[in-house]
Amino acid sequence: MTELTVRRPGPRAWLTLTVCEAKMVVRDTAGLVVPIGLPILIMVMNASAAAGEQVVNGRSALDVYVLPLVLTIVLTSIGVVNMPSFLAYYRRSGILRRLAVTPASPAMVLAAQMVVSLAQAVIGIGAAYAVAVFAYGALPPVDLGVALGVAGLAVAAMYGTGMIVASVAPTPNSAVAIGLIAFFAFGAVGGMFGDTSALPDPLRQVGSWLPFGATVDALSAAWAGTAVDTSSLVGLALSATLGAGVATVFFRWD
Amino acid sequence: MVDGADLWHRRPDGRAPTIVVMRQPAIHVEHVHKRYRGVVAVEDVSFQVEAGEVFGILGANGAGKTTTVELIAGLRRPDRGRIRVLGLDPRRDRAALRQVLGVQLQQSHLHHALTVAELVGLYRSFYPDPRPAAALLDLVELSGHARTRFEKLSGGQQQRLSIALALAGRPRVVILDELTTGLDPRARLRVWAGVEELRDETVLLVSHSMEEVERLCDRVALFDRGRIVAVDTPAELVVRAGAATLVEAFVALTGRELTPEEDA
Repeated sequence: MTELTVRRPGPRAWLTLTVCEAKMVVRDTAGLVVPIGLPILIMVMNASAAAGEQVVNGRSALDVYVLPLVLTIVLTSIGVVNMPSFLAYYRRSGILRRLAVTPASPAMVLAAQMVVSLAQAVIGIGAAYAVAVFAYGALPPVDLGVALGVAGLAVAAMYGTGMIVASVAPTPNSAVAIGLIAFFAFGAVGGMFGDTSALPDPLRQVGSWLPFGATVDALSAAWAGTAVDTSSLVGLALSATLGAGVATVFFRWD
Repeated sequence: MVDGADLWHRRPDGRAPTIVVMRQPAIHVEHVHKRYRGVVAVEDVSFQVEAGEVFGILGANGAGKTTTVELIAGLRRPDRGRIRVLGLDPRRDRAALRQVLGVQLQQSHLHHALTVAELVGLYRSFYPDPRPAAALLDLVELSGHARTRFEKLSGGQQQRLSIALALAGRPRVVILDELTTGLDPRARLRVWAGVEELRDETVLLVSHSMEEVERLCDRVALFDRGRIVAVDTPAELVVRAGAATLVEAFVALTGRELTPEEDA
């Protein structure tokens, strides 16, 4: 007779898996272009025109409009496009299935991947922000704490949306396709391609509740030091909750 | 036979539960049925694997081998019947089973850009008392390839790494599914040599290679169309069928031949 104690993998396993996921990402050099290169590109394209235009509280159009937009694009692309396509690839290739017969829980894979993609986002946003500060004299948000809080909520909303994509997509290719459609649709009604005042009212309204528009609006307010719309925060919280709910019911590991 | 539920002893101090594993067959499968959308995959399958035994599951493609293994590994739920691995229910006692069961899945894929050493390190980190990395690599003769990425390994090397990872947590029961399918003869011999090294583990070996089963297994279950047609030692199966070889015995007992591609 032997005794066996159930022991879940500890912090060392979580750390090892995270380091492994990071190595996977770093070795896939092409995959780094979008999260790290794109924010700088968007910033540089818009910065010189926007930097001189004062808007409110000593903040320029660069601070109040361009930087929130750049930040939102990075968070959306990572949460809504990258994460579901990696999950779909891992599922299709059998990696998740292989891990499912070890004591590692699928949650570990998800957490490790989130940490790594957030690190990419921080590096990409940090680089773009550094360029904005040193080359164009950008200023930090008037309400820095609010901006950080909104960014955290936005991350949850984007990953929530990404989990919905990952749950409904049957194949890796369809995950990328659905993710991109969601990305551009959210962006189009959320201000990615310019002012949304040209859109029909109901569409503009919905766009400001969806994660992209809500994040841009809330970050913009934090940068300007004005009050953040409650509807933006409610929209983001709903996306995060809905995503977690849908994923819990429909997401399949194999 | 003690039911899995009786094996859980919740400690009074509320710490992690302890499971007492009684002396019993390592794997016990009783009247198990599984259908997929009305198609029968496994029908009324029963067998026992004793501790320390190398037990083969032999059959043509679609005979129900992989489904049986997936049921035992807890990846699928049987429609009917009862399965115990070391007294644990593969679905209900999932967490406990994961610690004592090592699985090499048919065509399982690993993080392709990680090296052999990194993958071994990763899989070792999942278990409380893993085998040393050097011993694992030695066992499957991959010590010289520790810094090679998984995607750069040959098929045989990938398969051997996969075996090493299945053994990383010092499992008491190991499932090896289609161990040498698609390997050249030399690579097969090296993989077989690795399996022959296993002495303390109970091994469930899924195969459609007669040669492999004959060489490695103490006993074999012949599967045909989701059912078991015979369970015995390879030698006894040959005698029982009045055949000269295991290949002939298989034909006599199942009424079908393993096609050359399947046996390759």
